[in-house]
Formats: sequence, C-alpha cells, structure tokens
Amino acid sequence: MDKSFSKSLAQFDRQFFTGREKFTLIGRGGLGGKAHGLAAMEDILEQQLGGRFAPDIQVVIPTLTVITTDFFDFFMKDNRLYDIALSEARDDLIAQAFQKAELPAPLVGDLRALISQVHTPLAVRSSSMLEDAMFEPFASVYATKMIPNNQWDADTRFRKLTEAVKYVYASTFFKDARNYMRATKHTTADEKMAVIIQEVVGVRYGDRFYPHISGVARSHNFYPLGHAKPGQGVVDLALGLGKSIVDDGIGWTFSPAYPQANPPYISIRDLLEQSQTSFWAINMGSPGEYNPIQETEYMLKFNLTDAERDGSLRFIASTYRPEDDKIVFGMAEPGPRIIDFAPLLKLELIPFNKMLRALLKICEERLERMVEIEFAMTLDEKRGKPGRFGFLQVRPMVVSDAKVDVSLAELVGEHVLVASESVLGNGILDDIQDIVYVKPEKFSPNQTQTIAGQLEELNQKLAASHVPYLLIGFGRWGSTDPLGGIPVNFGQICGAKAIVESTLPEMNFMLSQGSHFFHNITSFRVLYFSVPHWEKYMIDWPWLGRQRAVAETELVRHVKLPAPLKIKVDGTTSRGVIYHA
Amino acid sequence: MSNKPFNSFDLAQSQFDRMADRLGLDDPARELLRWPMRETQFLIPIRTDDGPVKIFRGFRVLHNDARGPGKGGIRFHPQETIDTIRALAMWMTWKCALMDIPLGGSHGGVVCDPHNLSLREQEQLCRGWVRQLSRDLGPRIDVPAPEIMTNAQHMLWMLDEFEAIRGERTPGFITGKPVGMGGSLGRLEAAGFGLVFVLREALKELGIPPEETTASVQGFGNVGQYAIRLFQQMGGKVVCVACWDQKEGTSYSYKKESGVDFNSLAGITDRFGGIDKKKAAALGYDVLPGSAWLEQDVDILIPAAIENQITIDNVKKIPPKVKIVAEGANGPMTSEAETVMAGRNIFLIPDILANAGGVTCSYFEQVQSSMNYYWEKDEVLGKLDVKMTAAFHSVLELAKEKGLSMRDAAFYIAIARVAQACRDRGWI
Repeated sequence: MDKSFSKSLAQFDRQFFTGREKFTLIGRGGLGGKAHGLAAMEDILEQQLGGRFAPDIQVVIPTLTVITTDFFDFFMKDNRLYDIALSEARDDLIAQAFQKAELPAPLVGDLRALISQVHTPLAVRSSSMLEDAMFEPFASVYATKMIPNNQWDADTRFRKLTEAVKYVYASTFFKDARNYMRATKHTTADEKMAVIIQEVVGVRYGDRFYPHISGVARSHNFYPLGHAKPGQGVVDLALGLGKSIVDDGIGWTFSPAYPQANPPYISIRDLLEQSQTSFWAINMGSPGEYNPIQETEYMLKFNLTDAERDGSLRFIASTYRPEDDKIVFGMAEPGPRIIDFAPLLKLELIPFNKMLRALLKICEERLERMVEIEFAMTLDEKRGKPGRFGFLQVRPMVVSDAKVDVSLAELVGEHVLVASESVLGNGILDDIQDIVYVKPEKFSPNQTQTIAGQLEELNQKLAASHVPYLLIGFGRWGSTDPLGGIPVNFGQICGAKAIVESTLPEMNFMLSQGSHFFHNITSFRVLYFSVPHWEKYMIDWPWLGRQRAVAETELVRHVKLPAPLKIKVDGTTSRGVIYHA
Repeated sequence: MSNKPFNSFDLAQSQFDRMADRLGLDDPARELLRWPMRETQFLIPIRTDDGPVKIFRGFRVLHNDARGPGKGGIRFHPQETIDTIRALAMWMTWKCALMDIPLGGSHGGVVCDPHNLSLREQEQLCRGWVRQLSRDLGPRIDVPAPEIMTNAQHMLWMLDEFEAIRGERTPGFITGKPVGMGGSLGRLEAAGFGLVFVLREALKELGIPPEETTASVQGFGNVGQYAIRLFQQMGGKVVCVACWDQKEGTSYSYKKESGVDFNSLAGITDRFGGIDKKKAAALGYDVLPGSAWLEQDVDILIPAAIENQITIDNVKKIPPKVKIVAEGANGPMTSEAETVMAGRNIFLIPDILANAGGVTCSYFEQVQSSMNYYWEKDEVLGKLDVKMTAAFHSVLELAKEKGLSMRDAAFYIAIARVAQACRDRGWI
C-alpha cells in the first residue's frame, strides 16, 4: 500500500480509551495491510465527515492499538519458532508451540497496562505485511480472535489477550495460509504479522455482546441484482458479528442504488428461508471449553428469539404475516421475524444507505480504486438513533477493466464446453490445458468432504508446478455446510484460474459463497461460472469424459488437454464461455 | 582526591538525613530509620576439601520491616563489611517502599571469595549461614535472595537447610530459586529488564528515540547482561562493556564501535560475569583498561557492577555526550560525583529505582511460592514493566513538582512511605 497514506501515528501511551489518540502503535515496525488501510482512512474520515454523518450517526474507527511487525520478528527469533512454523506440522501443533513461547519483554508491559484498564470485549486481528507490500487484499487467511475481556482479575484478562496475540501470530503459518500463499509469488517465510487490538463495537445483553448491524459494502458488484449495475456496488448486512456474512455467507443483500429492493426471491416464504435465522455474538457468560487455539473460543451462535428477547431487533426486523403471505414492517405484530433492516433501508429512520454510499465514495477516492469496507454499528436501544458506526476495515478490490465482449450467439456451438449468463469476473484466459472436475455420475452430497481432500491434493501438485487449471464441481464452493457444496477454503483450490459451480437435478443448492471466499476469488482474478441445471446452458460432460485422464480417483478426475482452452468472461453482461479446441 | 575511604553506610545515611530534613521527620523517626533494627554477626566454620577447618564471617541485617517481612540479598564477597551490608539493607527498605511492594529491607553476606571455594565448600557455607540465622529468617520474617556471587544453586541449598530445620516445605523462604524448584520465570531477566524499562521511559521524557542511542555498561553479570539484551532489542547500541577479570585481579573494558554482539560475548563469559580476555580480543574487541567504560562517547552510561564506581576522581572523565546515567548497581556513585553530574544536566535514574526490577520480581516469586502456583513469563514481565514504569513516573512527577533530583524524589517517596508505616503501627 502506498506509504503516503500513512500519517505519523502516536505511540501507545498506556491509555487505551482515555488517551489523546485513538489509533496508536506499540513498536516501530510495519503496520501490515489492514492497519495501514485504517490509518489511510482515519484522517480523511475526520476531515470529510468530522466524525459524524448527519446528526444521527457517529462515524468512528473504533479505538485500536497496533503491535507492529518488529515484535513478530523478535517473537519468532527469540523463541526459535521458524523451524516448526515452516514445517508441514499440523495447525494445532504449530498453535501449541506458539502458545508456549514468550512475547517480547518490551511488549508485555504495554499489553498489561492496556488490559488493566479495559474491561470490554476486544478483537485481536491480523494485519499482514504481504497484504501491504502486494497491495493484495487477503481475506480470512489469518485469524481474528474475539475475547470477552470481562474477567474480574487483570491477570486472567492479560493471559487471554496474550493467548490471542500468539494465536494470531501462529495463524500466519497455518495450512490455509500456506495453501493460500501458493497462489502468490510469496511464501509464508516472507510474511510478517502486525496485530490489531481493537475495541469491539456492540452492546451487552446478559451473556451476549454483539453489534446490532454488521456489514460488508463493496463499490463493485460482480453479481448485480435486478436493475442495479455492477458499478453501483452491493451491501450485505447481518445482525450480530460479521462472521455471519464473511464466513457463513448469510445476510441481507441490497444495492446502494436500490436500498428498498429486496434480494431476488421466488416467494415470500423463500425470502424468509434465505434470510438470517441465527447470529454470532461474543460469549460474556460462563466460558466454554478452554481452547486458546480455536478462533471461535469465545463466540457463540444464537437464535433470533434470543435477539428479540434482548430487544435488539426493534430497528432492523420486519414480521411475516402468514395469513396473507406478506411482510409487515417492524415488529408490532407477533409472527416470524425477518432481518431485512426495513426501518433503516425502507423507512429511513437514519440516513444509513446515504452514509454507506458516501463512505464508499470517500474510500474509493482515497485508495483510487474500487473498495470493500467492513463495519459494525449499534443503534440507540430506545429510539434507534443516534447510531454509532464503527469503520472496521477497507480493502481494495481487484477488478479487471479489460474490454471483453461475449455475445449470446457465442454461448452455443460445437466447441462450447461451458457457457453461462451468471459469471463472475472479467477477462480472457487462453493458457489452461488442465481440467480438474468432480465426476457427475459419482457425486453425492454426502461425500463432499472426501472430495475436498482429494481436490486439495491435486491442487497442491498443480500449484507447486505452477500449472493453472479449470475446476468444475457441484454445489456451493466454499460452503461451510458439507451438504450444501464442497467445503473447501480458497487455499485448497488456489491454483484454479477458472471455476465452475454446477448443480444436478437431484440437488437443491443455492449457488453463492461467504464474502471472504468471494473476495479471494475476485482478488486473484479467478473467473467464476455458475451453471445450474435449470438454466439453458449445460456443461459438455460427454466431451470431458472422452479426454485423457492423468490422475483419477473414484470421485475426481484430472484431464490434460492437447490444446489450451479459451475462456472468455464479460463482466459487464455477466456472460461467459469456455471453448475447447 | 577524597582522603576518606568510601563507606556505603555513610552514603546511605547522608542520603537519608537529607531527605529526613526535607520531609521534616521528627527525632524518633530519624533515629529509627537511620539505623538497622536488627543486626546479626556470626562465624561459620567449614571443613575444607583439603581437611583443615576454615572460619568465615557472616552477617544479616534487617533495616526495617514496618511495611512487611524483610527482603534482601546475600552476597559472597571477600571485601564484605558490616557497613556495606547495613547500607544495602537500608537501600532495600527504600527500594521496596518506592516500588510499593509490601516488604521491608534487609541484607546479608559472607566474607569469602567463591572463586576459591569448591562447590561442596560453598554448599557448607550456605547451610552454615542458614543454621546461624534460622530463627530470624522465614517467609513472614525475612526473605533472602541471591546477590553478588551467589546464584540459584546457593539459594536451593539454603532452602533445603531451612526446610530441614523447620521440618516443612516453605518455598517462600527464599527467592532466586531455580525455575521448577519454586523459582519464578523472568527472575533472571528482571533486574536488567527492569533497568531498561525505566531507561525507556527516561528516553521518552527526553524525546530521544532508543534506536538513536549508544551505551556503555560496567558489569556483565545478571543485570548488565539482560540490560544489554533488552536495550539492543529496543534498537539501542552498546559499544563498551567492562567487567572483572578474576585471573588477573583487575577489570577490563571491551569495546566495539559497531556494537557488541551480546550472544558471542555471553558465550565467552564465566558464571560470575567475567569475560575471557583472549577470546574477546580474537572476536575483534578492543581490550581497554577497566575504567575506560566511563570515558566512552555514548549517550547512556549503565554502572551495573558494584558500589563506588563513579567518584569525584573520575566523574570529570564522563564525556559531554552522555545524557543519562542508569544505576544498575547499588550505590555506584558518590554524593560528590553526583553533585558534579547534576551541574552537567545529566539525567540520573537512581539505583533504588533503576535496579528495583530484581526485588520486584523476588516479590512476585514469593507470592507464587506462597500460592504454589506459578505464572507464565509474559505475565511476570508484564507486571514488572507496569510496576517499574509506574514507579518511574511517580518519581519523575515528584521531582518536577518539588524541584528535586530524581534520586531525592525517589528517596522522598520511599522514606515517607516507611515513616508512615512506622507511625501507623504506633512505633513512633
């Protein structure tokens, strides 16, 4: 990231909330990409918004301090951790070794001072140097750990904080990260990690702490909805912590150009089923199983009924009225609740959508490219306003601007292997001779985890030899539910330069991904085709079956073609086609 | 040239008198605090490995225990005197009070040179020392700790003897024990790291980035070694280290303009902190006279060896570039030298603050031993840093508020706290 973005940041003065500066550093090393992005935005948000959007929304970067990368170097070197870190050891063994190691002496005093005065939940986030150096936004590759930080004694809080910092350090070398690195020109040995310790935006309700709204807003939409155009962006909102959106892929999606439009649905009941039914919160009550090497150690999933009891749905939910199959704004009537954020988006209780549009514009201007932002917000519990909007992260989006035309006529023909009118990305590939595909005749939703393992093995070989390939499978790629698709993370298929997701008639999958999976696909310019069986375009399975296999298992086949494929994706029309010779 | 031989206790009493005037202490308070409350002098007969019995002289002095059980080191040194022990006990009272830890001050020693004693003889000495004092020592009475030329092994022998006499396990009897045998993680590093924590705060106060500073250190024992390690980790450069050469009975300074390499130097150092002269020369160090450490053109001087090292005779040799002196040793500077230094506007971090990391961690060890539950090193060092930093700022604040030197401000805080404890107990 351009160093000119970074201003001179203050050193942490051992006053987290009460200090003069709300964005401080511990150490004199690098900030890493995430922290750098926030540093770039801090001044500009203050200058352009003065900390507020309209009278009703306070806009802040939640208080944070960054442990700079020099401490990561000391930690790794002094504890001689590189041997295990760069080995092929299991994640849990690496994490254990890191937990046993000691944090550098000049750091622990600051952490101790910080924790002594802070009793609210903290997010301990990774901020990677390679993200920064490459201007390459990594998403969900490294760990974030939320800690409740509400134990009565400072010793326990301190211990939990240091465990979280060590866990984030360890995640630099986890298998996912190693796999992910294979898709870049770097290795994990090049990586250095800064750590962000940040206030969590939210409200405590008994044993739960969560924001009323969390969200991801992008200034470019690869899957435009209704009348919206790709350049008009897209927003995903959810109740509770952002994990629902970024990892589970569940939330309320709308275009900032049409905030009142619902996401596409077949029936009201269908909309109800698609929308959020549970949410993530930080567990402030009895601790679960002690497990410092688990990212969700202090996170729990709750039902909407819990949120309704908390009173946190009041300004974000509507009600389904089954007798006339309608959705009624608000919660005046009893009935199933739907998290559609109608009071904000449709009744404009506060200028929420206007603010998001303004923020996207400000970020685009600052970073000089399309952006993705993550945020969390709380609303006044009685009146819904004012609200406190926490700006959590900004990432540049990688969008190809190559001019590619794919006409309708091109989608059919003798040499068409795959065609689709629902394609992600933009560009042309003509150097792919390898195809890895899940055999349609053998596929079963019960075997998706086995398939994921076999794909990972093939990917490791192909990625290590720098052989790009086309990947074809069924259901949602990156699904967290093994019955909903093939549960890979991006690192497990990172060598694929084009991906096809399809369905079979006996399946009933919704084709979509968690936003981090989606983000990585677009960041690495992977072309992504959706080919559901109910659409008119099909995959030419017979042709594929005739090609020479170089590797084959019962479920997966790897074929090598004598001549490269030609893959064309037109991002403006979402049309794409793959030709074989 | 000063004619009178240096006496640590004279120095300690004069420091106390000056602050007692400033605090307006009444006569009983002065009388109680300028003398130790209890002194024990005794003889320890040892049968040597060659057969004959040798008699060694031992001491234990409890200066004051109004704020808690006595706490203080035990040193083995051929030049040990009761006055040195008295001074060290008094300084320990002030140090514990300044760090606001619930302990009093004591100190002890044996007149001997462990270099000339076998391990068996040293063990006999340790056990003999405890036998003589067992009634006046204990976790709730007076708690010894290692000091010059004593180490974790010595502490374990003493603990074993004490427990044998008492017939119970009392790991809180002594601190500085080996880790795994009741010792605390971080204890080894504590004194040196503690010094650098307050040095870091002083640099912040003066607006000097650590990575732009150089330092010269006297002493390569526990304090010196760990201070150098952490100072270098903060980005500073140490260009000269001085230490005692046991074989030659003199000290040398080892200099490298590009910065000493801590690991290679530590690799050629004996267990008492003596650097091998020949090997150091082979590694490219300039071998200079022992006093040369003081004359280096650096920003920071760290005297971390023994008392009375910066005197009226050599204080003028301190180069103009020096901005900070951090006293790692106890009483390394005479009052006359300090007066000269003050005129040059050198920022002094006084011994009772700069080297208080050791006793603070000893306190942590005692707490852990009493609970029989031991903390991670992160936790120990985190607490240490917070304590040291808080103490530094309370001293600095008072120094600014009352126009005192850093040393006087430190003594002011400490003496006021101890005097108050004596009053609260109704002693005076």
